[in-house]
Amino acid sequence: MSGYASGIVAILCINLIFAYAIFICATAGQLNLGGAGFQAIGAYGAAYLSASLFQPVWVTVPAAMALGGLVGFLISFPVLRTRGVYMVLATYAFGEVVAGYFLKSTIFGGATGIVVPDHLDVAPLIVAAVLVTLFMFALMATRFGLTLRSIHDDEPVAAIMGINVRATQVACFTIGGALAGLSGALYAHHFSFVEAQYFNSLLSIYVLLFVLIGGTQTAWGPLAGTLFFTLLPELLRVGGSWRFIVFGVAIVAMMALRPEGIVTRALVARIAARLRRPFGGPIRGARHAG
Amino acid sequence: MPGNDLLVLDRLQKRFGGLTVIGDVGFAVEAGSRVALIGPNGAGKTTLFNLISGVYPLDDGSITLAGERIDALPVRSRVRAGLSRSFQNIRLMPHLSVVENVMLGQHVQASSLLGLAMPIGWMPGNRWRRMAEARLAEAGIDVDPDAEVSGLPYGIRKKIEVVRALMSRPRVLMLDEPAAGLNPRETAELSAFLKGIASDGLTLLVVEHDMAFVHDLCTRTVVLNFGRLIYDGPTAGVQDNPDVREAYLGTRRVAGREAGHAA
Amino acid sequence: MSDAVLPRPWTALAKPALWTLAFCGLAVVGTALGGKVIAQQIASGLMLGAIYLTVAVAFTLTIGVLNFLNFTIPTMFMLAGMMAWGLNAAGLFAFAGKLGWLVALVVGIACSILASLVVERFTYRYQRTRHGDATEHAIPLVSSLGFLLIFEHLVLVAFGSEAQRFPVPFKADLQLFGIVIGLPQLVSLLMALAIVAVLTAVLRRTRMGRALRTIAENPDTASLLGVDVGRVVPVVFVLSGLLAGLAGALFTVNYGEVSPFMGENVGSKAIAAMVLGGLGSIWGAIAGGLVVGLTETLSIHFFGGDSVQMSVWGLLLVIIIVRPQGLFGRPSVGKGKM
Repeated sequence: MSGYASGIVAILCINLIFAYAIFICATAGQLNLGGAGFQAIGAYGAAYLSASLFQPVWVTVPAAMALGGLVGFLISFPVLRTRGVYMVLATYAFGEVVAGYFLKSTIFGGATGIVVPDHLDVAPLIVAAVLVTLFMFALMATRFGLTLRSIHDDEPVAAIMGINVRATQVACFTIGGALAGLSGALYAHHFSFVEAQYFNSLLSIYVLLFVLIGGTQTAWGPLAGTLFFTLLPELLRVGGSWRFIVFGVAIVAMMALRPEGIVTRALVARIAARLRRPFGGPIRGARHAG
Repeated sequence: MPGNDLLVLDRLQKRFGGLTVIGDVGFAVEAGSRVALIGPNGAGKTTLFNLISGVYPLDDGSITLAGERIDALPVRSRVRAGLSRSFQNIRLMPHLSVVENVMLGQHVQASSLLGLAMPIGWMPGNRWRRMAEARLAEAGIDVDPDAEVSGLPYGIRKKIEVVRALMSRPRVLMLDEPAAGLNPRETAELSAFLKGIASDGLTLLVVEHDMAFVHDLCTRTVVLNFGRLIYDGPTAGVQDNPDVREAYLGTRRVAGREAGHAA
Repeated sequence: MSDAVLPRPWTALAKPALWTLAFCGLAVVGTALGGKVIAQQIASGLMLGAIYLTVAVAFTLTIGVLNFLNFTIPTMFMLAGMMAWGLNAAGLFAFAGKLGWLVALVVGIACSILASLVVERFTYRYQRTRHGDATEHAIPLVSSLGFLLIFEHLVLVAFGSEAQRFPVPFKADLQLFGIVIGLPQLVSLLMALAIVAVLTAVLRRTRMGRALRTIAENPDTASLLGVDVGRVVPVVFVLSGLLAGLAGALFTVNYGEVSPFMGENVGSKAIAAMVLGGLGSIWGAIAGGLVVGLTETLSIHFFGGDSVQMSVWGLLLVIIIVRPQGLFGRPSVGKGKM
């Protein structure tokens, strides 16, 4: 693999895990615009363990996940007191506070950043991304996944069905925090360098866009969104500012034409039905239409 | 017979701002009975449902289910205690399929950590899914279980909501206008289906405007007007009650004078 | 509940008056304790706050009326400055002679308003779909993020990423009790307050104001009551574009410099100011803007320049969680459906 291609694959894997971290909150109706804060915590945690405490990768990466999960768990209690636009703003503020802290702190290198000694190649990143993807598909297929989707659709009715809405949302923030921490740790070890400026609010915005444009109804959404936004500029062979203009136009067009995102449940069902009956047999969905 | 009362509402009070929506309403529902709750628009029927299921907190009074106070419990625990309900305006989850909506009703049985972690989406032969599909078939709902609910006809969605409410195996099933918007044939089918379930010992509390449906299904009727209880007795006696006539038609004086002449 | 956008006269006056008194008291205490240095910091904080509050009012207007967090407002701010500089540098305003810079800024503000209307056309007008779930309110928000990318990078393509000097022909400082106050800054504070006062009067007294308040209450009810929502909504975007553009022009005059990134910092601070004052409250945005300006200068003075981000956003995070309605807002704005 050329250096250029492996760079793209690495960032694709990191962004995919990161997108699933935001996705799990979004499937339960919680918009997290502070993703960069959670990722920064994982990245700095791993970097600090590796550079200052000389821990091996198999310690730093799980530790970063645990740290991200813990922060997600703790921050979920105040954040879940808010809803709607307020939650967007609260998580955004959280991301800014974290970035501001790392920028200022002396033990984490401040504005100069930390050099991470242990390097991870692309291969373990791919493995991690595949595992996380499989995990999310499995999770969405469980009753827990059903619970998340019902909270997304109608929170009061979900409670009347006996669902503990708050506990479920806390679980989402915890899992999301752990996954964001993982993506941060992988970032730190692959690029061997961590600086606070990378984890800015624009990163939080991008990853939320990956998820919302991809679609929050199925686990295919973040996959589609991340692939779409990472590969689109490569396919169009545009660089610099034009790449972002293409992004912007794509986002505006998507929201106007298909606000549910690229992949919806209906689309997945239609494709699955087509695959199950490749010889043009009757499709189940058509039964009641007659 | 007080020992047989399953759901007891005692002096319930609810105010929104300065407006008393429910004032001093109290009645008991016997186990296995089928009770209708009727009243003119704005009488407080849906508010009463919301108080019982815990959507709104009570201002005063108590709610007892099978001898246990439930009025301090959060919404989700009242389902576990044995209350289940449907909604006046259908509240199915728009992005879930028919069978997924019904399976949501099973939550209180399946919400152990293991139950939550069990895959339900992949296997068509899954126990919970089979149970949900069987219930749908029993209720005579013949649609693709994997169809999204938002595209289905009104009558079918209304029935799916009743089935979903049944899946938690409630002791008291509260239905908010189950027959509204149904055609006469569907109404008769729904009535027959509900009687069938009730014969297994389920207690029904039904808000309904369709008096033919109420007469067919419920033996006892409670009438609310302006948040107060004005009649509680056999369904057969509702139409002759002067208070009820006044509430619906505003004809007390006429009725009273006629009564006076007759005497 | 019209006091979101429009507070009732007495409460409307009482709270800002109290706040003004509090600020004066703070200034007096500050001067007594820290002498001229602190007084100077407070003065500069309030002047900085003038810029923030103007942008914050633009934010609060779209949230209060449309329940829409419009992320393009910082871009409108930047567009006014960059377009003014770009067109002026191209020599388009040579005809105006010495007043070329003023004409340039007016045209810059016009560009902001125009861009704001483009955003309205593509985010708000087509997005009346209601599928009634928890992330529904995010659709116009996400769309506005798209426009943020488009506008910012179009400016980068057209004018490059360098900061540019904007020629302002005057530079005057005012000496008040030994405190230096930039004249343009003082003018901006007064202009911002004047515009907001006019806006409040418009919302309170005109038919258009009444229509806006009805929409703020409930768009569906508003159209049932005969309010032409499709014609009133653009007015909100014109006003927010005007306010953001004006703030950008004042900023340009104050600092004599423009850059494609000038909106980011101010935009963040304005969001903070809006949340502080309470979503949908105009007077709240004003008080919030001044508080954020003060927090920023005092935080720099006491803890150093790199502490600003943490103190402003930390304060904000605490306020959102402890008192989500802010100082003056009503609790229901921005919570989505029940």
